[in-house]
Amino acid sequence: MEWMITAKEPGKTYLLQGNEAIARGALEAGIRFAAAYPGSPSSEILTMLGHVAKDMNLYAEWSTNETCSFEACMGASMSKVRSLCIAKQNGLLVIGDALHTAALSGCKGGVVLVVADDPSAHSSTNEFDARHQARSAGLPLLEPATFQEAKDMVKWAFDLSEELGQVVMIRGVTRIHHGRGNVTLGELPEQLKEPQLVAEWDRLVAINWFHDLMLDKLDKARSIFENSDFNSYEGPDNPELLVITSGTGWFYSQEAIDILNLNERVGLLKLGCTWPLPQEFLLKHLRQTKKVLIVEEIDPFLEQNVSSIIGHNPNIQVEISGRSEGKAFPRIGELNPDLVRNAIAGMMQVSYEAPTSIALPADEQVLIPPRELTFCAGCPHRASFFVLKQSLGMRPAGGLVMGDIGCYTMGGQRAGHYGLNSLGCMGGGVNMAEGLGQLTRFGFKQPVIALAGDSTFFHSCLPGLVNAKYHNSDMLFIVLDNSATAMTGFQPHPGISVTAMGEKAEAISIEKLAEAIGCQVTVADPYDVENTTETIYRLTKKPGLKVLILKRECATLVLRKGTRRRMWVDPALCRGDDCGCGRFCSRVWGCPGNIWDYTAGKAQIDEVVCIGCGVCASLCPAGAIKVEGGEA
Amino acid sequence: MPGGRDLKNDILNSSLCTLCGACLDWCPYIKNLDDNLVITFDCNVAEGRCYTVCPRTNTDWHQVNSSFFTDADWSQEIGSCVKVYRAKSLSSIPGQQDGGTVSALLKTALEEKLTDALLLTGSRDNMQPESFITNSLSYIEKAAGSKFLASPGFRKIMQAAQEGVKKLLVVGRPCQIQALRKMQVSQADQLKDMDIISIGLFCMWSLSWEFTNYLQNEYPGLTIKSMAIPRHGVEIMTNQGVKTIPTAKVREFIRPGCSYCLDMTSELADISVGAFEAEAGWNTLIVRNSSGTELVSKAVGNGLLHVEDYPENELQLLKSASFNKKARNLNSIKELIANDAINPPVNISQYDYLEEVNS
Ligand SMILES: Cc1cc2nc3c(=O)[nH]c(=O)nc-3n(C[C@H](O)[C@H](O)[C@H](O)COP(=O)(O)OP(=O)(O)OC[C@H]3O[C@@H](n4cnc5c(N)ncnc54)[C@H](O)[C@@H]3O)c2cc1C
Ligand code: SF4
Repeated sequence: MEWMITAKEPGKTYLLQGNEAIARGALEAGIRFAAAYPGSPSSEILTMLGHVAKDMNLYAEWSTNETCSFEACMGASMSKVRSLCIAKQNGLLVIGDALHTAALSGCKGGVVLVVADDPSAHSSTNEFDARHQARSAGLPLLEPATFQEAKDMVKWAFDLSEELGQVVMIRGVTRIHHGRGNVTLGELPEQLKEPQLVAEWDRLVAINWFHDLMLDKLDKARSIFENSDFNSYEGPDNPELLVITSGTGWFYSQEAIDILNLNERVGLLKLGCTWPLPQEFLLKHLRQTKKVLIVEEIDPFLEQNVSSIIGHNPNIQVEISGRSEGKAFPRIGELNPDLVRNAIAGMMQVSYEAPTSIALPADEQVLIPPRELTFCAGCPHRASFFVLKQSLGMRPAGGLVMGDIGCYTMGGQRAGHYGLNSLGCMGGGVNMAEGLGQLTRFGFKQPVIALAGDSTFFHSCLPGLVNAKYHNSDMLFIVLDNSATAMTGFQPHPGISVTAMGEKAEAISIEKLAEAIGCQVTVADPYDVENTTETIYRLTKKPGLKVLILKRECATLVLRKGTRRRMWVDPALCRGDDCGCGRFCSRVWGCPGNIWDYTAGKAQIDEVVCIGCGVCASLCPAGAIKVEGGEA
Repeated sequence: MPGGRDLKNDILNSSLCTLCGACLDWCPYIKNLDDNLVITFDCNVAEGRCYTVCPRTNTDWHQVNSSFFTDADWSQEIGSCVKVYRAKSLSSIPGQQDGGTVSALLKTALEEKLTDALLLTGSRDNMQPESFITNSLSYIEKAAGSKFLASPGFRKIMQAAQEGVKKLLVVGRPCQIQALRKMQVSQADQLKDMDIISIGLFCMWSLSWEFTNYLQNEYPGLTIKSMAIPRHGVEIMTNQGVKTIPTAKVREFIRPGCSYCLDMTSELADISVGAFEAEAGWNTLIVRNSSGTELVSKAVGNGLLHVEDYPENELQLLKSASFNKKARNLNSIKELIANDAINPPVNISQYDYLEEVNS
C-alpha cells in the first residue's frame, strides 16, 4: 500500500509485499526516475511509484516497451540522478541489446535494473533464468532472499552502481515479488539530488575499448562482494553438507535444516551477491566440506559458476549437486520446501516423512468443480476468436492465426476454440505471419492472420508492421484493441490518454499510425459477429497486407464503469437441447454469463457475471435471449 | 434422421452439397458466405432438420411423388409430366434468359394472386447470385436471366415462413426443388401452413464462385451483362463484348456436388422450364401437376405466354440428354460407393430409387 512505502517512520516494521519493499528501497535511495513496461510478477512496483511520484518528487512512466524504459533510465543517469528500471524475465531480453552496450558505457547516476523471474511461468509464457544476462553483459548481480533484503538491496544497489559507475541488476522471483513479509523501514532522504549539468566529456558511449574497463568494474564488484553482509554463513565449521543458496532457496533450506534437525551437521551459505561470485568467501567454506548442494531457482547458474571455481582449485575435492541433470532437483519448474527438504534428507541419508494432509470430514468437504482458464464474461476477445474461427472455417483450407502475448493468448485454449497456430514472444505474431505470407508466391494458399493487442502493438509490432507493409506480405494483421493492458492490470499505454502518474496524455491512434505507414485499415466491432465474420473473410481473400482493428473496450472496464445492461432468457423461445440450437450459448459460445438450467432444460443468464454485451442474444437462433431496453 | 455431425461428415466433407440453402438460417452451426457452406462448431444434436431437408440424404421418393404428382405420366428420364410445350413470353423483358417463360409465369402468379410473394435469384453484378423475396412486379425483371453460379437461395423459405407468408412461388434449380419437397413432406417443418408453387429450372450443373475470380483475372475490369450456354461453351456478354470460355475450361469450375446429381429437369417441380435447344428465344416447358396447369393456363389466358406443342423429335432429344446426365452421374455415385468415399453409401437421394426403377 502506498502509504507504507512513503511512511516517514524509520525503524517501524510493516508487512510488505516484495514489490512494495522494492519500491520503498528505491524511495530510500532517493530515485528521481523510474520506468517499466508491465509484466507479472513485478508490475506493482511502477504502479505504486507512479501513484506516489508527485508526492515523492520523482518521475515515473509506463514506457512503450522495456528497451524504452531502460534506456530512458540511462538517459536520466547522465544528469547523475538515480533511476530504477523494472522488467520481467521476458522484458529483460527486450532490453538485452541495450543492456550489453550500457555495460560498456557504464552509468553516471545510479541505475538499478530489477528483473522478476517467474519460475514455473505462473504468469508468463516461459520460464528461463534472467541471471545469465548479467553475466553475459558483465554486470553485477544481486538476489534478495527476504523481503527485508529486497528493500535493503535496492538501496545498496544504487550506492554500488554509483561507486562502480555501472548498472546493477537485481534478480527476484515470483515468491519474493508477490510474497509478503516483515520489513523494517529505513530513512527517506531529506533532500533529493537535482539533475546536474552534463559536462562536455561526461559521455555515455559504448565502444569496444571499454570492454576491459567493464571487466575492471566487475573485479571491483567482486572485491566489494567478498565483504558484503548479503553473503553469510551459518552452521558448523566442518559441515558434512554445505548448502549454497540464493533467493528463496535460503528460506526453504533453513526450514528444511531445522525440521530435519541437522543444524549441527549441515552448513547454510547464503549468497546475495551472485555475479561476480565472492570467490574467496566461497573457497573458505568449500574447503571445509566434501558435499555441496546448491539450491537456486531455474537454471544451475550458481552450480556451474561454483563448479568452475572448484575446477580452478584442484585441492578442493567436493561432490556438487543441484539442478543440472535433475539429480537433486527437477531440471525445470519452481522449487518448494518439500523438494528442498527431500533433497537435503536424501543427501544426509536421514529419513523424513512428511505429515499427511489432514482430510476434512465428508460433510465439510466442498466440491470445487474443475475450472479452465477462460475469457471473462463479455470479453471482446471471446467474440474475436469466435469470429475468426467462423470466418476461417469458411475457407476450404482453413487459415492460420499467429498469436501474440496478452489476454488473447488464452484464445489458444478452449475459450478461443484452440484458435492459435503459433505463439511466441511479444511482437512475434506479425513477424511470423509476414514470413508465411510471402510464400503465396510459391503457391501457399491458406490465409495468414497475425493478432496483437493494443499494448503489444505499441510494444513491438511497429517494426513488424513496417516490414510487412514494405514487403507487401499477403497477410491480415488484426489489432485486438480493447483499450487496455488488461492481462497485467490495466496499466496505461500510448493508446490511452492517461499516464502512470495520472497525467493527461494525447492518445495515439493505432488506425492513423497504420494508415501513415500506408496500410489499408478497416475498423470493426468484434461484438458484431455476423458482419465482422464477413469482414475478415473478405479481407483474407484480398492480396497484400491488410490491417483490421477489432475495437471494443475490455469488459472489465465496462464493469467498473457500472454501465452494464440486464439480459434474460425467454424460456418459451429457448430451444435448449433441440435441433437448431443444442445449447449453443452455454456450450459453444461459452461465455461464463451463459449458463444452463438442468432442471428446466433451458438456457439462463448468470446475472452476477453477465456484463450485458448482448453478443449471445445476437447468436441465439431463436431470439430467446433478451436485452433490457430492446436491441442487442 | 441423423444430425449436424452427420451432415458434416456425409454431405459437406464428401463434397456432395448442392448449395440449395435449405439447411441454413434455422441453426447457428451452419453458416454460409459466397459458395462456402460449413459447419464450424461442433453440433451435438442427434436428430437434425438439416439432415432431413438436405436433397442429398436418403428420402422416400415414392412418398414425395405420390404426394405431389397424382395424375401425371411418369418417365424415368423426365419424371412426372402432364404436358410438355415449347413456350415463349408474349411480353418479353430485357435480360430474360431464353423465352422469358419463367418471368411471364411469375408476373401471372402475382397478378392473379396465386401467390403473395416470389423467391427469386438476382445478382448485383450479373454473376454472383443473390436470392430475395419480393411481392413487387418490378423485381421480376431484376431477377431475369440465369445466374450459373450456385446460390443457397432456398434459405429464404425459412424467412418467408417466419414472416408468415401464406402463399409463395419459388424458382430454383432441381436440387433446390428436391429440398423444397423434403421440407414439405417432413412433419417437423413450419411449411405446413404455406402454399408453395414451384418453378424448377433445367440444370446440367452449376458453377463454383471461383469462376468469377477466374474471369476477373483473365479479363481485368470486366463487367458482365449475362451468360448463356450454347453447345460450344459458355458465352459471357460483357462490356468488352462476348467472351467465349471453352467447355473444358468451364468444367473446372463445376461444383463437385453436381457430378452426383440425377435430376436435369427439376422433376419434382410443379412446372419445369429450360432452354428450347432447337431454336433460340424459346423455352421448354413441362407442366407436372394441377397447380402447374393452373398457372400456365392463366398465363396463356392473360396473353402473357404463348405455348405450342412440343416437337416429338425434340422430346426424344430432351429425354436422352436427361438420361445421359443420370447415367453419367449414377456412375460417379457408384465410384464413390466403390471407393468407400461416401458414408453410408446409400445416402444420395434418388440413387436407391433409380436403381430400383431400373431393375
Ligand atoms: C445453374 C443453372 C443451370 C442451368 N442449366 C440449364 C441446362 O443445362 N439446360 C437448360 O435447358 N436450361 C438450363 N438452365 C435454365 C435456363 O438457363 C433458363 O433459366 C430457363 O430456360 C428459363 O429461361 P427464361 O427465359 O424463362 O428465364 P427468365 O425469364 O430470365 O427467368 C429466370 C429465372 O431464373 C431464376 N434464376 C436465375 N438464376 C438462378 C439460380 N442460380 N438459381 C435459382 N434461380 C435462378 C431467376 O429468379 C429468374 O426468375 C439453367 C439455369 C441455371 C440457373
Ligand atoms: S446439377 Fe444438380 S446439384 Fe448441381 S446445381 Fe444443378 S440441380 Fe443442383
